[in-house]
Amino acid sequence: MGMDNRIECIFFSEFHPTLGPKITYQLESGFISNEESKQKLLPIMSTLLEELNATGACTLPIDDSNTIHLKLIQLRKDPPIVQEYDVPVFTLCKDHFIKSQWDLTTQQILPYIDGFRHIQKISAEADVELNLVRIAVQNLLYYGVVTLVSIFQYSNVYCTTPKVQSLMDDKSIQEECLSYVTKQGQKRASLRDVFQLYCGLSPGTTVRDLCSRYSQQLQRVDERRLIQFGLMKSLIRRLQKYPVKVIRDERSRPPRLYTGCHSYDEICCKTGRF
Amino acid sequence: MANINTTSIHNKLTSTQTHDRLYCAAANSYANMMFNPLAGSPDDRKSMYSQPQNNVYKTGDKTSPISVILVSSGSRGNKLLFRYPFQRVAECPSSLTAKQRSPYVLNTSGDGLEDQDGDSREQSPLTDEQLVAGFSDIILATILATKSDMCGKKFELKIDNVRFVGHPTLLQHPPIIQVSKTDPSPKREMPTMILFNVVFALRANADPSVISCMHNLSRRIAIALQHEERRCQYLTREAKLMLAVQDEITTMTETDGSPQSPFRQILPKCKLARDLKEAYDSLCTTGVVRLHINNWLEVSFCLPHKIHRIGGNYIPPEALERSLKAIRPYHALLLLESEKALLSQLPLDCSPAMVRLIKTCSAVKNLQQLAQDADLALLQIFQIAAHLVYWGKAIIIYPLCENNVYMLSPHANISLYSPLAEQFAQQFPGHDLPSMLAKFSLPVSLAEFRNPLEAPAQEAQLIQMVVWMLQRRLLIQLHTYVCLLVPPSEDEPGLRDEDPPLAARVGGRSLSTPSALSFGSPTSSDDMTLTSPSMDNSSAELLPGGDSPLNKRMTETLLASLSEHERQVILNIPAAQNPEDLRMFARLLHYFRGHHHLEEIMYNENMRRSQLKTLFDKFRSVLVVTNHEDPIISIFQSPME
Repeated sequence: MGMDNRIECIFFSEFHPTLGPKITYQLESGFISNEESKQKLLPIMSTLLEELNATGACTLPIDDSNTIHLKLIQLRKDPPIVQEYDVPVFTLCKDHFIKSQWDLTTQQILPYIDGFRHIQKISAEADVELNLVRIAVQNLLYYGVVTLVSIFQYSNVYCTTPKVQSLMDDKSIQEECLSYVTKQGQKRASLRDVFQLYCGLSPGTTVRDLCSRYSQQLQRVDERRLIQFGLMKSLIRRLQKYPVKVIRDERSRPPRLYTGCHSYDEICCKTGRF
Repeated sequence: MANINTTSIHNKLTSTQTHDRLYCAAANSYANMMFNPLAGSPDDRKSMYSQPQNNVYKTGDKTSPISVILVSSGSRGNKLLFRYPFQRVAECPSSLTAKQRSPYVLNTSGDGLEDQDGDSREQSPLTDEQLVAGFSDIILATILATKSDMCGKKFELKIDNVRFVGHPTLLQHPPIIQVSKTDPSPKREMPTMILFNVVFALRANADPSVISCMHNLSRRIAIALQHEERRCQYLTREAKLMLAVQDEITTMTETDGSPQSPFRQILPKCKLARDLKEAYDSLCTTGVVRLHINNWLEVSFCLPHKIHRIGGNYIPPEALERSLKAIRPYHALLLLESEKALLSQLPLDCSPAMVRLIKTCSAVKNLQQLAQDADLALLQIFQIAAHLVYWGKAIIIYPLCENNVYMLSPHANISLYSPLAEQFAQQFPGHDLPSMLAKFSLPVSLAEFRNPLEAPAQEAQLIQMVVWMLQRRLLIQLHTYVCLLVPPSEDEPGLRDEDPPLAARVGGRSLSTPSALSFGSPTSSDDMTLTSPSMDNSSAELLPGGDSPLNKRMTETLLASLSEHERQVILNIPAAQNPEDLRMFARLLHYFRGHHHLEEIMYNENMRRSQLKTLFDKFRSVLVVTNHEDPIISIFQSPME
């Protein structure tokens, strides 16, 4: 049952049908078995039902000493694991956050999240342990505050996804894109230029190639932000390279990193090349 | 800006200083995931639930049921007839009867973990068995056997970490036996069952589509049982058997004192119990359920989440259905198993049309050709194809041909040690999968593999390998898409931004080819056989050749949907001076929205690839071309993000 569904019925008081915590007050004080307090159950239930459906939260005193606080929490999907070569980028404007609402670790790393630093770099520069940074970013990911993209290099190869056509169909994405990728202080980039740039990305073309080929289109467009936006909205995707050691003789050890499970980015991060 | 919800899990992260406390902070799965540093491939994620522990039962993933329960309500009250897997009877039953237990009190001894937010003493999450074992038979009977006004609808109940889903069904009362006034014998009280409920217990965080699939299965079983009950009181008989065994066991344990699970004894005696057990086992493994209720009625069901898995993710059923509605006659059907294997799986009374289709199906034939070869209507082909795809027996691809461009799928498992690599080496000795896959790192067309100096057998083997890789969703096919984008005019900057792109303006010109509407009952549509796709535009009316006024007017009409500025720019292109080219361009204008790929235009307009490519080249100043996979069938290669 999601946030949009109305609560159809509240079963027993111990079994709460919504996503809130279990109510245990009644059990402890013998609320239900007590005849007098049982009369109060019906108005309590109806108040709960109305208020939760209306506002999603409810504070209700049951008796002199007990009060229930309930809130409907939106269940989100489990966030993926954050790797040290992932780059967090804010999906919403950074200034909208009230920093004090977040925990200390997150507050410490927030200034270093700029959409270009990867986790390992953030950990080094903010002087926070790597796993803590990973957990903190994963938490931000869970709430949709950040999203993950890959490290930007001019040697990277990207290619378009079918979603790139939404740039042509959807006016809101167009607006968002054009304001995001335009170079600071320049006139707004044209949709045609931006779309041509995205379509110019293909397997076999590095970002450097793109810059030299489409230099005219890039006059008003910041290519780093272009790539960033494309990755955030899944208009393009990164092609990762995976080295695989194929030739094996009896003397050589089985490959540890060259198994096809670890990308170049990951290997470079792990061996300290970044 | 909504309030950022800092849950109590979050608060735990702030106050911890040492790693130890962090690691046992939250019972939430994502914190537990942090342990596995090499969890690159999504398949590893499944193993995180099964941590080394003493329990025999591993926790399943979110698409498997935890338990199946059958309850009934009748004149003898609410009864739990059967449940599987069996509850391990840990406590001595004599102690149970000693305590005065209210049926509504939760059995807290079954819960290992307390609330989700607290620091758990135990580090491992609850196993599935423990989740449902905490509920005793009596409690389950009480909560799952609903009142009659809840019958015939979906029943869903979430308690802590368990979600119960079922479809309570009302049984009609048997006809009242008329007692004549002259008959002195007393009326015998027949214990009647009023309603029953087949319930599946799932993990609480199961996907809504999984929940609705389970509900569907519950409903199907209920329909079969209801029918059998009306016909020969099957359910009442089975219920009597089950209750009899339960009573027997309880009296036995009271005298002997040794705890036993009554359900274990029920299994050999009761066909229905065995059916329910089989349903549960199938759901947990293959996802395909085939039951024969009372050896008479067949209930078949498949859980798409188990069948359509790629990597660690599954394809959501709604996405699957959307794709299936969008397949076109130029697509092809690729069987995922060999023809023999598939035919042997079909039931004896399956439709001969399906058998014919399977026999004539091939990776190089598109659906229209298949319709002709198998002598079936195109709509029927669509429906059978959709059916096969739904059951995970086939996928939709673009028919194999030399010009197809393939590339590695983003979700392909390229690990050296994957089971696929092993299978490949067995199937194609002398070749290894990683080397083969490396050839497809960048898009490559099949024509590039052709080597006239090689023996033709090599080429045939290559095709086989490509088909093998397509079946295992390792490759995706790239198509060319074209979009019309005219360079903005310099002298009217204000209007530039307001011009909606062509895509928004040229709308509604749908190609009315029949699509597989719903895989179920065939419709009695009249346009069943098609020889060529019907289109409701005027392209077919354009007369070939000649600069007749009729053609000119047609071209003008077609270009009328463009803005003045766009029209000017197009007409200024040198190639537009050639009336043939301009006519072709105008005719194909509505394809230039980025949603129709080259092959589709070729099929619909009966044109050659070279013609189209030349046209694109001539008008390249106003067209933007890109290559990506077909979103309709890419669902079969990679699940939705």
